[in-house]
Amino acid sequence: MVASYIFYGAWNPPFALLLFATTALDFVLGAQIAQASTPRTRRGWLIASVAVNLSMLGFFKYGNFLLENFQWLVARVGVQYQPPHLDVFLPIGISFYTFHSLSYTLDVYRGETQPTKSLRDFVLAVSFFPQLVAGPIVRAADFLPQCVAPPVPVRNRFYWGLFLLTFGMFEKVVLADALLSSSVDTVFGHGGPIQTLDAWSGVLAFAGQIFFDFAGYSTCAIGAALCLGFSLKDNFRFPYAAVGFSDFWRRWHFSLSTFLRDYPYIPLGGNRSGPVRAAINLMIVMFVGGLWHGAAWTFVVWGLIHGVCLVAERVLRSLFHEAKWTQSTAAQLLFGLATYVVVCFAWVFFRATDFNTALRLIGAMVGSFPRGDAILSTREILQVALVTAGLLLSHWVLRSTSIEAMVVRLPRWLMAAGWTFLAGAIILIQGNGNAFIYFQF
Amino acid sequence: MPSSISSFERTIPAQPWNRLAGIAVALTPAAVVAWELYCRSLGYGPTLNDTPDLWAERREAVRPDSLVIIGDSRPLFDVDLDQLEKGLGQRPIQLAIAGSCAYPVLANLAADPQFRGTVICSVVPLMFFAPGGPLIANAEDALKKYRTRTLAQRSGHQLVMLLEERLAFLKQDDLTLGQLLKRLPIPNRPGALAPPPLPPYFSTADRERRPRMFEPCAQPGPLQNRVKLGWLPLFTPPPPPSFVPREAFLAGVKQAVEARFKDAAAAVKAIRARGGKVVFVRFPVSGEVKKIEDQATPRQGPWTRLLAESGAPGIYFEDFPELAGFECPEWSHLSNADSIEFTKRLAPHLKKALSP
Repeated sequence: MVASYIFYGAWNPPFALLLFATTALDFVLGAQIAQASTPRTRRGWLIASVAVNLSMLGFFKYGNFLLENFQWLVARVGVQYQPPHLDVFLPIGISFYTFHSLSYTLDVYRGETQPTKSLRDFVLAVSFFPQLVAGPIVRAADFLPQCVAPPVPVRNRFYWGLFLLTFGMFEKVVLADALLSSSVDTVFGHGGPIQTLDAWSGVLAFAGQIFFDFAGYSTCAIGAALCLGFSLKDNFRFPYAAVGFSDFWRRWHFSLSTFLRDYPYIPLGGNRSGPVRAAINLMIVMFVGGLWHGAAWTFVVWGLIHGVCLVAERVLRSLFHEAKWTQSTAAQLLFGLATYVVVCFAWVFFRATDFNTALRLIGAMVGSFPRGDAILSTREILQVALVTAGLLLSHWVLRSTSIEAMVVRLPRWLMAAGWTFLAGAIILIQGNGNAFIYFQF
Repeated sequence: MPSSISSFERTIPAQPWNRLAGIAVALTPAAVVAWELYCRSLGYGPTLNDTPDLWAERREAVRPDSLVIIGDSRPLFDVDLDQLEKGLGQRPIQLAIAGSCAYPVLANLAADPQFRGTVICSVVPLMFFAPGGPLIANAEDALKKYRTRTLAQRSGHQLVMLLEERLAFLKQDDLTLGQLLKRLPIPNRPGALAPPPLPPYFSTADRERRPRMFEPCAQPGPLQNRVKLGWLPLFTPPPPPSFVPREAFLAGVKQAVEARFKDAAAAVKAIRARGGKVVFVRFPVSGEVKKIEDQATPRQGPWTRLLAESGAPGIYFEDFPELAGFECPEWSHLSNADSIEFTKRLAPHLKKALSP
């Protein structure tokens, strides 16, 4: 717990106080919810927890965004209002730890977990440094029981954690940063129309970069936690082998997707009130999911694209659920490829800093600028193509298994050589010091 | 209510982890040592990487009355800090940044209400008046690092410096995977706008950010030729972007240059108003690079106007025979030996220019 606070405070000491305040408040409110004698009081304490957590998040992350949109809105009715620019520094990982902490009061309210009596355990659960700044979003119900007894050192668990840590670092340092990031920066940073090949290379590079960056961090977090004797759940399961969008969200950042499913989606009614209401609920949830990533409408559009695709998929499934041809390998591959292509189109809005850039890139991807600039070198295009092919192939080969199951099957000499290769590559390749992308969320 | 005891525990795959870890721990250092020896056999030696972290450390060392050097790579190579200290009686702090425009750092010092020291500012007009792009971004990156460095990044950099001073393969400009891949002889598509490659590694740096040119670069030979050829595309002004009409682009550049004259003069005025001093210096340049610079920005153009509008003194190397006789072996920077002699000769001119 002390190490976690030192870790967080090393970035910006005053924000460690904010982290503690959020945690302590939810600890108290969790106890109040459990002790409340009437449903109304219970709900009152829960509303207090939700309101305080979301207000904190809203102020730090969305303050300027809300003011800018308010300014735009009132300008539409002829009122000229110049809001003050809030000079607010975004606390790193606030979106993650707010959800870690909030999930506790929500679970206590729902009866999913018992309130802990130990503030120390709860502070550790929220601030546990491997997952503090970029997830996975850990439910108190999964983590708190592990705090009851001090973890016993287990040699094999420690080494497996170390291996995962090495593997996650390799994904980040070598694959995301060294091989893909420069093509992404070049393509998304270009101010004019570009050729189709360049646009696709940049977008495929980003699809790979965001996966290796975020899954790499999650793997590091899981590995570091294992080294210390704690178990965190997976956050990714070979997402680019997803067949359809519901499958994608069962494989991509599913600590967030399960959070969104359990808290906003199901309380909104989920799919219990008919298909139209379920579609609306899905769109609301994906709107929230998009906005959670960043205070910009581009993130919202990214979320809404996924929402529309989820709704469309439900409609198509209801129409074709009895068609046997949809289960053939060829059809599954085709659906998987289609899912990946649409996911890539959606990534454009996730990465672009504004709509002009996003729309220009989409235009380039569909061949609107045959005389656009060729901005990537042949070497960069080949690099992206090779990494993307390896990524897709590995996801399809491993889509129905887990990394643990794969490791069991590998011969010992290959494991030893692989581990040496991963560690050696991290050291020799020398990272460029890029921060993890999800730190900004 | 469900039990508070979680059944969740990650599976540990069955492998002889003890033995695997032992092999990895033994083989990884062996691979690193092999690569280190290979790099040394190619002529690489341990030296610091001149990163924004290192720059930020020097920026933090600036005190209200400090003597600081800002600008592009020429004052980095051409000024010997020991000689300048002897000449001016004060240890200078090297804040020049290779491949950058001096203005963002000048503006940063001007905006620092504590700073009332002395600024020696190198001016390469093609770089000083750059409207944007990498020349500005390189300076902004360093300033951003200075403003936002965390405790973890500071301590991480201390550790990295210890390693860089001992290991030759830690060369961010030359031996990262990205840099090695760039050397692959893969031809580009016709008309591809891929940026020109940067010149190869040809100097060492210390904790005060004093680079020293390698002897193989100071002497005629393949390395010197590669560096020379590396400068030509970098000093050739790029064509306007294809997506902006030429007239609009040129008008935008003109507007940005005009703004730079005004902003630079304002920055000089702000520093002088607090009792500080600023002197502009045009450092030696030779060969084809000099031809390009003289043609694009003749002496009577931006240099003369900058001095007139800012009111700051200036030293143009060609005005003084004792400074004009130096030859840059790779056309843009002085050799280590010449930089010592050049600084000895420059110091009296600086002293005179900075005296009230």
